[in-house]
Amino acid sequence: MTNHWIDIKNADVIFIIGSNAAENHPISFRWVLKAMEDRGAKLIVIDPRYTKSASLASLYAPIRPGTDIAFLNGIISYALENSRIQKEYVLEYTNASYLVSPDFAFNDGLFSGYDPGKRNYGDRKTWAYQADANKLPKRDKSLKDPNCVYQLMKKHYGRYTPEKVEAITGCPKNVFIKVADLFTSTCKPDQVATIMYAMGITQHTVGTQNVRALAILQLLMGNMGLAGGGINALRGESNVQGSTDHGLLFHIIPGYLPAPSAKDHPTLEAYNKTTPQTADPMSINWWSNRTKYLVSMLKAWFGDAATTKNDFCYNWLPKFGKPSPFILLFEDMLKGVIKGAFYMGTNPVVGSPNANRAAQAMEKLDWLVAADLWETDSSIFWKRPGANPKAIKTEVFLLPAAASMEKEGSISNSGRWAQWRYKAVNPPGKAKSDLDIIDLVFKEVRSLYNKEGGKLPDPILKANWSYIPEDGHEASPHLVAKEINGYTWQTKDQMGTFMDLKDDGSTACGNWIYCGSYPGPGKNLMARRGADDAPNNIGMFPEWAWCWPLNRRIIYNRAAVNRMGEPWAPDRWVVKWTGGTWKGDIVDGGPKFGPDQKNPFIMNNEGVGRLFAVGKALTDGPFTEHYEPMETPTRNIMNSQKVNPASVIINEVAGQFGNVGQYPYVATSYRVVEHWQAGAMTRNLTWLTELVPDMFCEISPTLAAAKGIKNGDRVAIYNARGRIKAYALVTERVQPLKVNGRMVELVGMIWHFGPGCAATGDACNQLTPSIGDANTMIPEFKAFLVDIRKEA
Amino acid sequence: MSGKAFLVDTTKCSGCRSCQVACKQWNNLPGEKTTFFAGPEYTNPAELSAITFNHVKFFPIDRSYPDKPLWTIMHKKCYHCEQANCLRACPVEAISKQNGWVVIDQSKCIGCGACENECIYKVPHVLGEDLKKYGSEQPLEKDKSYKCHACTVNKRKMPACAFHCPTGALTYGDRGMLLKKAKARVIQVSADYPHVMLYGEDQFGGLGVLTILKDLPEKYGLPLRPKPIDIKKAEAIRDTYHLLALFTFGLPSLKRVAYKISRSMVG
Repeated sequence: MTNHWIDIKNADVIFIIGSNAAENHPISFRWVLKAMEDRGAKLIVIDPRYTKSASLASLYAPIRPGTDIAFLNGIISYALENSRIQKEYVLEYTNASYLVSPDFAFNDGLFSGYDPGKRNYGDRKTWAYQADANKLPKRDKSLKDPNCVYQLMKKHYGRYTPEKVEAITGCPKNVFIKVADLFTSTCKPDQVATIMYAMGITQHTVGTQNVRALAILQLLMGNMGLAGGGINALRGESNVQGSTDHGLLFHIIPGYLPAPSAKDHPTLEAYNKTTPQTADPMSINWWSNRTKYLVSMLKAWFGDAATTKNDFCYNWLPKFGKPSPFILLFEDMLKGVIKGAFYMGTNPVVGSPNANRAAQAMEKLDWLVAADLWETDSSIFWKRPGANPKAIKTEVFLLPAAASMEKEGSISNSGRWAQWRYKAVNPPGKAKSDLDIIDLVFKEVRSLYNKEGGKLPDPILKANWSYIPEDGHEASPHLVAKEINGYTWQTKDQMGTFMDLKDDGSTACGNWIYCGSYPGPGKNLMARRGADDAPNNIGMFPEWAWCWPLNRRIIYNRAAVNRMGEPWAPDRWVVKWTGGTWKGDIVDGGPKFGPDQKNPFIMNNEGVGRLFAVGKALTDGPFTEHYEPMETPTRNIMNSQKVNPASVIINEVAGQFGNVGQYPYVATSYRVVEHWQAGAMTRNLTWLTELVPDMFCEISPTLAAAKGIKNGDRVAIYNARGRIKAYALVTERVQPLKVNGRMVELVGMIWHFGPGCAATGDACNQLTPSIGDANTMIPEFKAFLVDIRKEA
Repeated sequence: MSGKAFLVDTTKCSGCRSCQVACKQWNNLPGEKTTFFAGPEYTNPAELSAITFNHVKFFPIDRSYPDKPLWTIMHKKCYHCEQANCLRACPVEAISKQNGWVVIDQSKCIGCGACENECIYKVPHVLGEDLKKYGSEQPLEKDKSYKCHACTVNKRKMPACAFHCPTGALTYGDRGMLLKKAKARVIQVSADYPHVMLYGEDQFGGLGVLTILKDLPEKYGLPLRPKPIDIKKAEAIRDTYHLLALFTFGLPSLKRVAYKISRSMVG
């Protein structure tokens, strides 16, 4: 989230797409309903089904799964055609007026630089600004130059008429226009919309571009940086934000630094050459500090061994040879490249796309270690239905792990608040916290390296690893948190801000964005519970816990004011510039620059929001364009590309993709409030299995009638990847949609069930495809094809 | 009627069922065995029972309002009537008012089912089996009647269901204040829900659970003008029952038959 949970209460319009927040983030609706009750805010919900969120909405719009871009581009078009944009904001704080290279082109769904043989945009040189003699981007503030971003947008997005939106998405034109009109009512400077989204936006072959479309809308409306605004990703687990912050994903290391590649960044020098540059005096270009953060991280990891002479042990930092997202890890497992696996907090037999294939891949493992509360579907994958335990050689170890209430530490919520939690009870038996498990395993591995040697032992032997306090015998989360916060190497003083981090080895910091969370002995700011609001009284509660960066509650908050420093929305101001100082939230980019001296989007090297995404930030296009999901019931009427032309297609699974002739119904997957993710924590709890006892799907009365299915019947749902059984919930909440002149039916499925635990049921993900987003490879869980029939 | 009450605001309920689960946890009640949703949409179990003191009812979606489909999701539990049929009908005075709440004393309950028969909201239920590892203060026993006691038995500052509601759909407080709040809310949302109304202000002399309904109460099986059982009639049934009870040999199944006969005899 650029903003945070409580801040939703400050919105005038709440736009929920790709999320059923009432179901999956129930607490968020405290703030949604508060905005509606106290401010008269309007709630828009866009979803293939009429959901619990929709039941509380002022306006509900149905949409076919996988067509978010068509819908959102339609709103962008509506805003541009009807001049419903926040013009001053767009001129000052976005690249609308920047001139793009005249060589940039878009033709029939392909942007310039596409290589059809490689299915990628290897050459993105034309996705660039025109530069003047001082290397600054050329601008036309009258917005008339045909190559300025604004004019390019009018051309690109003008194609998305309400008629096209209706034909692609199935949302009736009049409903779409109502949505577009209500959302763009926040183009007034003092009207603000928040956007809440979740996996319904990201889990597509166009997932990143879906988010881009939301960002473009919020920039056009002038809603970024303001209270009640922003782009708010509702994270699917209580600490997903924390795990992402600390480098969980394959393409980043802690603090969102790019993961080094063996080919492109063999040395620290090569890595540093990619540090973002700017010649623009208006740009803060925060990433110019990147080297300080990387060097400080290396110092924290490798301690005394990390010196100027050896590039702070940059050589020891693992580098990727090829991207290794989830789908490809399991492909490698299937090929026998990956021989062993550690599972901590994961249950791929239920949660993986193409789950049958994932389970088959696991059969190739020599060993599997699962750290879990109890047996899960995955730790007993070798005896799942259909498997032959005698033929599976994998040796499986189950490490008993402590549950969240049985260990201390921080969790970071969607709003970036790192909140310290305490241990309520000791874990049962020999169960240990994940931290303790990792500490013990590391020490055992180190002792084996000591005894037996091995390839490249130094990173293990010389790692700066010391997390047992003097008076204890278990690894301490406080010592980890202090290292993450950072300290001066010589004096070991905890640091207060990442502005003081250095690239000379004098500072150590595990993760720069958390610098300041633990600034001194006993000063664990994450444990704060101050319940007073700040003077601007917008629900920031700055002394409750701590939030990155630097306890800034709303990021990009320089955009909350005009160039004079006056808030766009004075009744819920975030920051303001008065008498040469900033008041309110911790201002972005440091307090010394006034609003007219620096641009607000400090993480972009030009300092403004990108309506047109220049450079190599994205693999699949500077503007958002509609492509069909990999498995689609219809043709693409916007261009002759079917699927995202830059999405990676894995040859081995290409034969499994189905077409509408074989599998006529659009399927999507989602969660219910009663179960948690892959269900291992909830399917053993009778209070919850009473409520949702088994796998079920949701279908419309029309599909049910066509297939002779009654509410509560057992049905089979199948495609080339699998066949599952489920109960059918026949409901008016699901309706067929008219797409390109033809009625398209939906099969909605929950994905919480699997063959293990007390309450068992088939896993939806046996049906989901092995294809992902062109940028992130997040799997396309949310739009695929199936057939359905009543079970005899 | 005065004192405390609950306010159920269906215009704020997201159907998360925290109330239902929290009640089971705080009162140490077992989960029911279900195979699919037993009632409309996600409703599970279909009705209240001796081990389910509250549940969330999901009504079928109503698409008769073209612009805004109506999906009502409603927390339901004992309404704690001011003039409670169950209390009037109980032949052994096992049901009483505790701080305004209608509470069953299981140590006095004889399992005759009078309360179960007379409650038009189908709230109290006589337990059909011993479940002695469950129950908060006392183990759950066969042939005893159970229902919501507004957490008066397990002594909480705020009843579990209201404490756990994330959206403010279920609140607990001074009844007068809640009535005021509810009436203001009805006016506030009347544009969105043309038939919105407050249920519970007067029914059975005033209910301890007030409900803001998105549509007319009949749609939710809630009679607008229910008639409480006449006190004289209740007395006559009790007297007849005491005579017939002499022939039940202490067997709860016969007691239930005896109660039904007494009721039909009084007419």
